[in-house]
Amino acid sequence: MAKTPQEREQLRQARVTARTAAQTPLVGPAGAAVASIILPGLGQILSRQTQRGVLILSAMATSVGIFAWRIAELGRRVDGFGATILRALERRPGFVALVAVVLALVWLVAAWDAYRCSRDRRRPTTGIFALVLAGFFVLGWQIAEIDVVKLVREAPEALPPLSRVMWPWAAAVEYEEQAVTAGADVLAGEGPAPERAPQVEGEPYLLVEPNVGQMTTQDEDFRPVPGTRITLTGTGFTPNTETEIWWEDPVGNEFRPREDGEYLIVTTDEQGSFQLEMTMPYRLTPPSAEGPFIHRVEARQISTVGPPRPSEALRLTISRMIETIFMGMMATFFGIIFSIPVSFLAARNIMSGSRITMAIYFLTRTILNIIRSIEPLIWALIAVVWVGLGPFAGIVALTLHSIAALGKLYSEAIEGIDAGPIEAIQATGANRLQTIMFGVIPQMISPFISFSIYRWDINVRMSTVIGLVGGGGIGFLLVQYIRLLDYRSAGIAVWFIAITVATLDYVSAEIRNRLM
Amino acid sequence: MLEFKNLSKTYDDGTQALKDVSFSVEPGEFLVVIGLSGSGKSTLLRCTNRLIEPTSGSITWDGTDITNADSPTLRTIRRRIGMIFQHFNLVKRLSVMNNVLSGRLGYLDTWKSLLYRFEKTDRENAMRALQRVGLTEQAYKRASELSGGQQQRVGIARALMQEPQIILADEPVASLDPVLAHTILGYLERLNKEDGITVICSLHYLDLVQRYATKVIGLRDGRVVYRGTGEDIRRMTDAEFKEIYGEDAERVGAGPAAAATAPAVNTPEEAE
Ligand SMILES: Nc1ncnc2c1ncn2[C@@H]1O[C@H](COP(=O)(O)OP(=O)(O)O)[C@@H](O)[C@H]1O
Ligand SMILES: [Mg+2]
Repeated sequence: MAKTPQEREQLRQARVTARTAAQTPLVGPAGAAVASIILPGLGQILSRQTQRGVLILSAMATSVGIFAWRIAELGRRVDGFGATILRALERRPGFVALVAVVLALVWLVAAWDAYRCSRDRRRPTTGIFALVLAGFFVLGWQIAEIDVVKLVREAPEALPPLSRVMWPWAAAVEYEEQAVTAGADVLAGEGPAPERAPQVEGEPYLLVEPNVGQMTTQDEDFRPVPGTRITLTGTGFTPNTETEIWWEDPVGNEFRPREDGEYLIVTTDEQGSFQLEMTMPYRLTPPSAEGPFIHRVEARQISTVGPPRPSEALRLTISRMIETIFMGMMATFFGIIFSIPVSFLAARNIMSGSRITMAIYFLTRTILNIIRSIEPLIWALIAVVWVGLGPFAGIVALTLHSIAALGKLYSEAIEGIDAGPIEAIQATGANRLQTIMFGVIPQMISPFISFSIYRWDINVRMSTVIGLVGGGGIGFLLVQYIRLLDYRSAGIAVWFIAITVATLDYVSAEIRNRLM
Repeated sequence: MLEFKNLSKTYDDGTQALKDVSFSVEPGEFLVVIGLSGSGKSTLLRCTNRLIEPTSGSITWDGTDITNADSPTLRTIRRRIGMIFQHFNLVKRLSVMNNVLSGRLGYLDTWKSLLYRFEKTDRENAMRALQRVGLTEQAYKRASELSGGQQQRVGIARALMQEPQIILADEPVASLDPVLAHTILGYLERLNKEDGITVICSLHYLDLVQRYATKVIGLRDGRVVYRGTGEDIRRMTDAEFKEIYGEDAERVGAGPAAAATAPAVNTPEEAE
């Protein structure tokens, strides 16, 4: 209905009078400003802008409180109020000064705001809240220990492991190793020299000269007393190849001796020969052991032969990845089975019959909401306590979360069912079962499948991390590699997770698109 | 003959949607029910096949008491009463064919039908029904892909599969534009004239009522306030019309001459 301009003007006037009558400020503009200087927000409250006043007051109280706490933290270990502040200022001058300035600004603006509230009898702009937000931002920066400098400074350190994670494929394959070795016995202590093995034509041979001597030992002050120098001469090895020296003590323990802190390693010449001098190494021998002992020194050439084959890391990753996908699948499967009956209990249109059913509806909804609001990772922690480490714990956790999430989605699908087609099918003379098969299920099937696939997608994604807390799957392997600092193998796991999740994402989106 | 005697319906919330409604419908009639939105038209139609249980009164059909029929009998009654709806009420995700075939459900063995296994003759009949409404091309499309007018034609084909003696049509054209309204009502008229199917139809547009009705019933607040033949309604006065549509309703339909050529441009009450 059209109104004349005069009518409209009258209406506006009436509205203004009605409002101002109820909102006459209790104090004048100056009074309001003073009140807000004394207590930020008080002036606004006195100007009948209670909500605004309370908001300003609580924002100020919160930021001043947090600021005080941070100062106390920074000035820990000094006594006295002034000293604490000075210490804090000394440690983080920028932060303390900035926050103090912002707070003072907010304080002043709050007073100005109160002045305007009282004068104009209506809400001024929201600029003061932007200022409060800025204050919170500065506080948050300090509390969260944000450190951009560190981010840049540590980057070179992080680069090597990161590059291994990003391109880990060197560790994805391994080769069969072939060893060319020859060894000789060395006697430690006094006694007849051990018999030298005969040299065979075409076989590698190692000659140790002398082959009787003293091992390196320690004196009372644990200073090393060097052992006998021996010369190793190798012949008949593969030419131009790195050769490692190994030592085997009489007990049968092998180790690689070092000279000046470096492992002993030598490269053979054109003829496959080498010569090397070394000191007989230190070896802790049991006190009961006395007398001479036969040690053995060996020269080894390790070379790779044959085609590359998947490394253990790759094989483990693939098997864990399969485990992960199936974990996600089983959790989805159980989730679907249990959430179907639950979803009916959580559907308002089905449960609205009586008080009791409504009570069940609210109870079910509440429980579902609680279960859903707890992250699967936390459920996994609980499940690990419950059923122990391994994929089953992960499945239990994911199933619980799936029931809650799917129960909600399904119940919404049930609530969204159109009664019209059901009525139409009934009108044809169909019985109850036929009505369900023709009227209800076709309406449910597409959201049902779509939600289930979506959930499978989520569950596989979740099961890749659920291993972090011991729930099995590839996450379990990943943390182990990271703890062992085996970044290449960890990288392989990360790559597989990324590939699987991306593939699944695509497939599930594609299926859902077709269904829609 | 279908006879309504003192039919009343009170909903659980206390709404009295029908009050003491009595009338009868002869076989072959095209009965149009008119009345404002909320006057009880849908309730009346749904009581006829007991999608809604009447509170009191009775409906008898050729001597069979519909109101007291047990559920197997009710289903055999329902399968001879086709029904079409304002919002078509097709199962949108099923193919047009399956929607049409669902009209056979009342005749079929439960287990076979649950697996969507229909007899060959049923499929042939479904094709023929689609042919009658000009939709053979669309048979294997999903119902949701069809336009409103096409969906309503599928609704008619579904009703046809029931080999109905009566078709109930609850505002079948209220969601369609006026040109389509004539198409749909034209189909109903052909079924009425050629197959002798009794049609009970609620309508909003007075011109349509004047054009198609052989008998008219007017409802207001659940009471019958008007009875007349198609002839009567063509000669209807403003006073009589207001009696049905309420005081503030204006007569919208043009005279009989205009009604035949021009579709209605306005309705006394917004379509629900
Ligand atoms: N399920 C129901 N529960 C309660 N009241 C209803 C229900 N369905 C319809 N009504 C009421 O019954 C009256 C008649 O409705 P209806 O038969 O749909 O009228 P019409 O089809 O003529 O618009 C209206 O007042 C409506 O609000
Ligand atoms: Mg209606």
